[in-house]
Amino acid sequence: MNRFTADVYQNEYLPADGTEVNAIVTIASAGGAGPTQQAEAAEIVIVDTSGSMSAPRAKINAARDATGAAIDCIRDGVAFAVIAGAETARVVYPKGGSLVPASETTRAEASVAAARLRTDGGTAIGSWLTLARELFATAPGRVCHAILLTDGENQHETPEHLDAVLASCEGRFQCDCRGVGTDWQVSELRRIASALLGTVDIIADPADMASDFRSMIEAAMGKATRSISLRVWTPQGAHVAFVRQVAPTIEELTDRATEVNALTSDYPTGTWGEESRDYHLCINVQPRNLGDEMLCGRASLVEGDEVHGQALIKATWTDDQQLSTRINREVAHYTGQAELADCIQDGLEARKTGDQATATFKLGRAVQLSSESGNDGTLKLLQAVVDVDDAATGTVRLRSQVADADEMALDTRSTKTVRAGPNA
Amino acid sequence: MIVVCPSGHRSATTDYCDQCGAPIAITAAPPPATEVLPVVEEVDTSPAARQEPCPGCGARRSGGDRYCEGCGHDFLAPPPAPATWEAVASADRGQFERFAAAGLSFPSDSAERRFALEEAEVRIGRSAGRAGEPAPEIDLASDPEDPGISRLHAILERQQDGTYALRDVGSTNGTTVNDDPNPVGTDAALPLADGDRIRLGAWTTITLRSR
Repeated sequence: MNRFTADVYQNEYLPADGTEVNAIVTIASAGGAGPTQQAEAAEIVIVDTSGSMSAPRAKINAARDATGAAIDCIRDGVAFAVIAGAETARVVYPKGGSLVPASETTRAEASVAAARLRTDGGTAIGSWLTLARELFATAPGRVCHAILLTDGENQHETPEHLDAVLASCEGRFQCDCRGVGTDWQVSELRRIASALLGTVDIIADPADMASDFRSMIEAAMGKATRSISLRVWTPQGAHVAFVRQVAPTIEELTDRATEVNALTSDYPTGTWGEESRDYHLCINVQPRNLGDEMLCGRASLVEGDEVHGQALIKATWTDDQQLSTRINREVAHYTGQAELADCIQDGLEARKTGDQATATFKLGRAVQLSSESGNDGTLKLLQAVVDVDDAATGTVRLRSQVADADEMALDTRSTKTVRAGPNA
Repeated sequence: MIVVCPSGHRSATTDYCDQCGAPIAITAAPPPATEVLPVVEEVDTSPAARQEPCPGCGARRSGGDRYCEGCGHDFLAPPPAPATWEAVASADRGQFERFAAAGLSFPSDSAERRFALEEAEVRIGRSAGRAGEPAPEIDLASDPEDPGISRLHAILERQQDGTYALRDVGSTNGTTVNDDPNPVGTDAALPLADGDRIRLGAWTTITLRSR
């Protein structure tokens, strides 16, 4: 079952005494598994029903519709449930404390229950996730996915409590997070989505919620694998400086390593559909003699005991500066995309704290980087926050009036990257 | 298939060493008909295992085996006549610092290993642990394994007067004696005296002693 292919982009030539090896590893999954081969799935929709969801009423109305739309997309046989979250969590459907297989009947019943969602109380996201984890535990062996919708920040429990809940949920299920309106915290939802290997985004207009829910469920139903890890081997004396997913979004994986043996670690990547992702690996090695070649890393994907695809990251030491000073195009591109995400987040943070100079500099640099790399989506979002005088030099002016939704959209989508273009 | 990389690591991957990342030339792959498993020091806690170490190579006697698994020594044979020369191998920090190999650490707990010089030709090396392949008389493949030593590294040759002379046989990392930085040649044997120290590999010093 060779559904994964791996390609490496790097300059393997290092100068004498050079120790840092950078490589972009592109991993593509061909999909290819028919429905019969697909892993058994489980799906939970978690809807915020705190009091604020009815201010305005359009939010809870949209949430009811979106939940119904999501339920309609759940494939026959997939075990599912709907959770309503406030300062505690409650199973809205089904009754009886476990998941129920999707069928025409159960989907219709769930839609009726979703249409009756009522709003009351506060927000304690940790309790919602805990209930989801308990429900998923009743369907062992399934690939578990959840959608979490909220409109506010986590007020009724401490950040430490949420951290503990996330730790207990990691690896149990994946969770895509959506914030509706502008009263939720981007950093908080990003933290949840990152820990649970999901996406995070803003739904500025409740009217867009149903289509977004539908596409999230469809993406989840298209995942044909169980949870997959990126396995990285490095030689004796080497040190992994970082492992970072760089496309389609930036995700730091360095701190999430699970040691397999002294030389090998696994990094979580979640489930895969028919898609392609890029990873930036930076490895520090002990220098060897001029002319020596060395394997600095072996990257592969591991699904259960099965190892798919393989990418070899190499180094050759040379005194030919023509070779050793060349920076690989893909490595340069993604180094820029990572800096772009940092600049946006730092710039918005500075803007919030009133540090105009830092905000102008960082967001200016972000404009320059997104323009250079052809990241038009991000550039467009930046233009809602700054007026661009000259994109090439990063000369910008902060806008005095910025809609909250525009700022949050820029923040949530700051980690979205583009691939290295042919002329980038 | 297990292959051996140029630095002497046993590697389960055949393209690059799974220890140090060095490229492995396909021609260097050994031709074992059956897969060679890594040498595992089995910890046998049975009463029979608590027997004397092999006088030939120091390996633990496994159960009631008559012959030593390490060197073929016959445990039931009458003890050999006392050797007049012996070689004492030990881990030497000075040699380790001179060798300064990247990625290696100095073995923390290594005992001296004593080898009686009984043959006219005593080979120094590091066995691959393969069946049917004779191990060198002075085998530095374990306790601890010195990866800087070649399979067949050097030979001690008995001279007319009963002393030994040293000849490097084309080792990868060379051999020196005492504090002379010049490596021992492969063509002419260098006569050794009591107390001479042979330095080789990443950390090994072999001291020659007359008894």
